[in-house]
Amino acid sequence: MPSSIDALVERLARNMAQRISRRSFIGGVGALLFGAAGMPLLPVARGESTTPARPDAATDPGDPQACEYWRHCAIDGFLCGCCGGSGQSCPPGTEHSAVTWVGTCHNPGDGRDYIISYNDCCGKSACGRCLCSRHEDDKPLYVPFRSNDYNWCPGSKVGIAYHCTVARIVGVAK
Amino acid sequence: MAHGSGMNRTRRAWARAALALMACTCGARGWAQLPAEPPAVEQLPSKPTPHWVWVNDTSFFAYPDGRAFLVDGDSGKMLGMLSTGFSFNGVLVPKAGGVIYSPEIYFSRGTRGTRTDVVTIYDATRLEPVGEIEIPPKRASILPMAGAQALTDDERFLLIYNFTPAQSVTVVDMRSRKFVGEIEAAGCALVYPTGPRSFFSICGDGALLVTTLTDAGTLARHVRTAAFIDVVKDPVTEKGVRWRDTWLFASFEGVLHPLRATAAGVEAEPTWPLFTQQELAQHWRTGGLNHLAVHGGSGRLFSIVHQGGPETREELGEEVWVYDVASRKKAQTIAMRNKVGSIQVSQDDHPLLFACAMEANRLDIYDVTSGRYLRTVEPLGQTPALLVTP
Repeated sequence: MPSSIDALVERLARNMAQRISRRSFIGGVGALLFGAAGMPLLPVARGESTTPARPDAATDPGDPQACEYWRHCAIDGFLCGCCGGSGQSCPPGTEHSAVTWVGTCHNPGDGRDYIISYNDCCGKSACGRCLCSRHEDDKPLYVPFRSNDYNWCPGSKVGIAYHCTVARIVGVAK
Repeated sequence: MAHGSGMNRTRRAWARAALALMACTCGARGWAQLPAEPPAVEQLPSKPTPHWVWVNDTSFFAYPDGRAFLVDGDSGKMLGMLSTGFSFNGVLVPKAGGVIYSPEIYFSRGTRGTRTDVVTIYDATRLEPVGEIEIPPKRASILPMAGAQALTDDERFLLIYNFTPAQSVTVVDMRSRKFVGEIEAAGCALVYPTGPRSFFSICGDGALLVTTLTDAGTLARHVRTAAFIDVVKDPVTEKGVRWRDTWLFASFEGVLHPLRATAAGVEAEPTWPLFTQQELAQHWRTGGLNHLAVHGGSGRLFSIVHQGGPETREELGEEVWVYDVASRKKAQTIAMRNKVGSIQVSQDDHPLLFACAMEANRLDIYDVTSGRYLRTVEPLGQTPALLVTP
């Protein structure tokens, strides 16, 4: 069951994702980061919630184990769907990273752009399967929350051992 | 006598037979018997040649098992290796010689348990650890790049970029071999030295955070510059390289941004294009993981290029284009035998170009003067990502 902090962060994330455009989001991240060193306020939810059911194939087309799947537009890592997890859930025995980077991907199923949270699953060595590296709107390390070159396991309880990455929908980018 | 003579003949016959048998069984092989060999361990020469290269392998498929391979570019021979722990970035080779520095991460149970971050000091000839400095367990775990760690110009202080995701810089005194402290760098990333007591970081809004250290390695002052890039329109990659007092950064769209260190801080110099309009129309772009290198003596900038779309900044390249930095002109094209993501160039008068990619476990070596491919060292590691020359 999510803690109150989890719920708060989740709500903030959804509100932010629904309120702001992709462009203003990127611009705002820099300002957000400046002075936000000690307390990461991120447009993502914390882990440990139950696995959401995946929408039907008509509205969420493609294979979550394929690098070409629309949600993977800015992913860089091993796809958790190939590692015992799914496109949205971590494999058994790993921990969902608390913080992460986000991308904005176009869903050909409904024609909308979605904010995608690329959470790493942590606590075991690399899965090593289905490596996928795509860089749509990916930014350098100095824009951390748009950068997929970080290992995002720091901040998790299990340390920085990186296993694989999921691609969760946070909300629609308006 | 007759009996005696018969005995002698018999003895001589036996003696001849014995000699013949010995010659048959021991013969040439017996006399050339190999000597017993005592246990031995190789040791490297005290001074590296300019054509040595450290191939830093982050072992992405076995993250706890980072490695640094030392290769002689002239012979293609692997000279030795360091075992460098979890999420390895790369070694640092001080010009003073004698030692190799390696920021490393370890867990008490391999991938779990207590995390310990250290700077390991290796003897440069025996490749054995001879010292260790414990630092806060905060070093950024990233795809390897030079900007994650650097020595100040006098090699006194080692600077290490932290990301927890709070951003800061660890300062280590390599003279006393002690951790000095941590300097906050909220909103800014990586470390680019500009002098014996100064470095800058790049911030999320396109500005620079210029840090000056005291002689003790603590923070003397922070100065934040105006933004030198538009991060949304055309950011630079964080893979800048240094030529003399100037750092050179390439933008996603192929604009070179020189940042010159001055007494007052860091100044953004006029930018210049890496590609002509015609080349841009042909979709030439910079790309790769560690895609730039500089040859200090000639002032030549090496840049991995490929033909691709706007979101292909980490795509491997088929060519390396060489620019004369002073005249801002392209001077040479070196065709790659294999697609390449990371390059480095030796700093002598007959330089070698080293090239690798995380996608392939090999090292390609080229002669810069002729642009000729020389040799490939393979297999070599697992995911080689960052090349460091002495």
